[in-house]
Amino acid sequence: MRSAATLLVALLLLLLQSMVLEFAPLPLAAPSFGLLVVLHVGLSPKWSPSSAALVAFATGYLFDLVAGAPRGLHAFVFIVMSLVVRLIATRLVVRGLVLKAATSFMASLLSALLIVVVRALVNPDGGYGGLRLAPVEALLTGLFGPAVLWLLDRLDGRLDPARLRVGLSRRRPRPFGSTIGQR
Amino acid sequence: MTGIRHKLREAAVILVALVVAIIALRGSARAPGDLSALDRGILTLISPAQAALSSIARGLGNAAGRYMDLVHVRGENETLRSENARLRADLLESRRAANEAGRLQRLLGLRDSVAAATLVARVIAIDASPYFRVARVQLDRGEGLVKPGMPVITPEGVVGRIKRVAGDTSEIQLSVDPASKIDVIVPRTGGRGMLRGKPGENGYRCSIEYLTKDGEAKEGDLVVTSGLGGFPRDLPVGHVSKVVKNSAGLYQELEVSPDVDFARLSEVLVVVAPPPAPDPDAGARARTLSPPRGQSVYR
Repeated sequence: MRSAATLLVALLLLLLQSMVLEFAPLPLAAPSFGLLVVLHVGLSPKWSPSSAALVAFATGYLFDLVAGAPRGLHAFVFIVMSLVVRLIATRLVVRGLVLKAATSFMASLLSALLIVVVRALVNPDGGYGGLRLAPVEALLTGLFGPAVLWLLDRLDGRLDPARLRVGLSRRRPRPFGSTIGQR
Repeated sequence: MTGIRHKLREAAVILVALVVAIIALRGSARAPGDLSALDRGILTLISPAQAALSSIARGLGNAAGRYMDLVHVRGENETLRSENARLRADLLESRRAANEAGRLQRLLGLRDSVAAATLVARVIAIDASPYFRVARVQLDRGEGLVKPGMPVITPEGVVGRIKRVAGDTSEIQLSVDPASKIDVIVPRTGGRGMLRGKPGENGYRCSIEYLTKDGEAKEGDLVVTSGLGGFPRDLPVGHVSKVVKNSAGLYQELEVSPDVDFARLSEVLVVVAPPPAPDPDAGARARTLSPPRGQSVYR
């Protein structure tokens, strides 16, 4: 349930990412929303590494299809990124606006580097072009990162399997005493 | 034991995901144009949503573009409006300048044609009081030369006489003031009389009482100065607008509409020296600005 909802949000974010350039004053770069989903599942302790990897794979694969990239490229890179982020999460608690923005920025840079390297390995004719835009993309991802991560955190909280098990799903608990006098 | 199994399962899932990704990547590298049935299915599902979102985005982008265009148009409109206002002001100023040039040219023509020494004065006020038909003028130069009683004229005709002088400003008693008296003739009939302002009139009108009845004056007859009283001869004064009395007596009484539009007076000529005598040698002396002392008739 949570994975499906996260994937749906990821798909929406990917579609949104493909729309951003419509509004951008200069057709340079868009924030990597897909990577932010990977960042979320990788950082959150509620997601197991395998679940995070699967969501990263699905998100990457969807991105490959939507963006017209070689199938499996983003899927592979996003899995790697989910593992890297998980590694970071074991040593660093990523909380707060600045830290989330910085993590998004760095993750975007690393992801761009990986994408270019893997693309060069798969298709040597393509070379390492596009790296010039990586800082711009990373900057945009860093800007949007905290907001998207906060949104996904909220969604995660609503769809937490532990909460669902005890009946605390979508509805907020009523404040104590709010029902007194209604009978 | 359970923990190890769990970790192994986790690792296996991750490994499988990585392997699948690599296989997909290899397949894509070999045949970039090929899509699997799953890919086609996913794209079939995604495409409508992507198209819809793209169309919304494009619509919003167009709306934003139109708004920006509108903002530019608004700015351009403001610029054009201010430019239009400036050009209108320039046009009005040019028209005013042309009118003024025309007036001054006519004044200059009159000055050349009148055989008397004149000074140009600028009208600064007219009819400050409705009970007295007076105008206030300011001399550009020649201060001290103007004396009370001096005639004031324009190309259109007689304006009046200097009433009071204070520095470079003077007061003109207009020909339509009841206290004004100007000797005039009706050239068609040769009749002569005294032009006075009509008391109690709202407009600018005057009358000729006791016009000598050399012939019957009619409405529309031209009235000009006789040359007596310091005014140059044959200056237009106005036209007969009404014959009041046409009795069998010796005199006629006429109403005269002045030719000068007093409400629009802007520049006038003050005749500072009387017209020269018929003697041809006196012409050069009479056209000098300073009237010969003791000979002025306006004191």
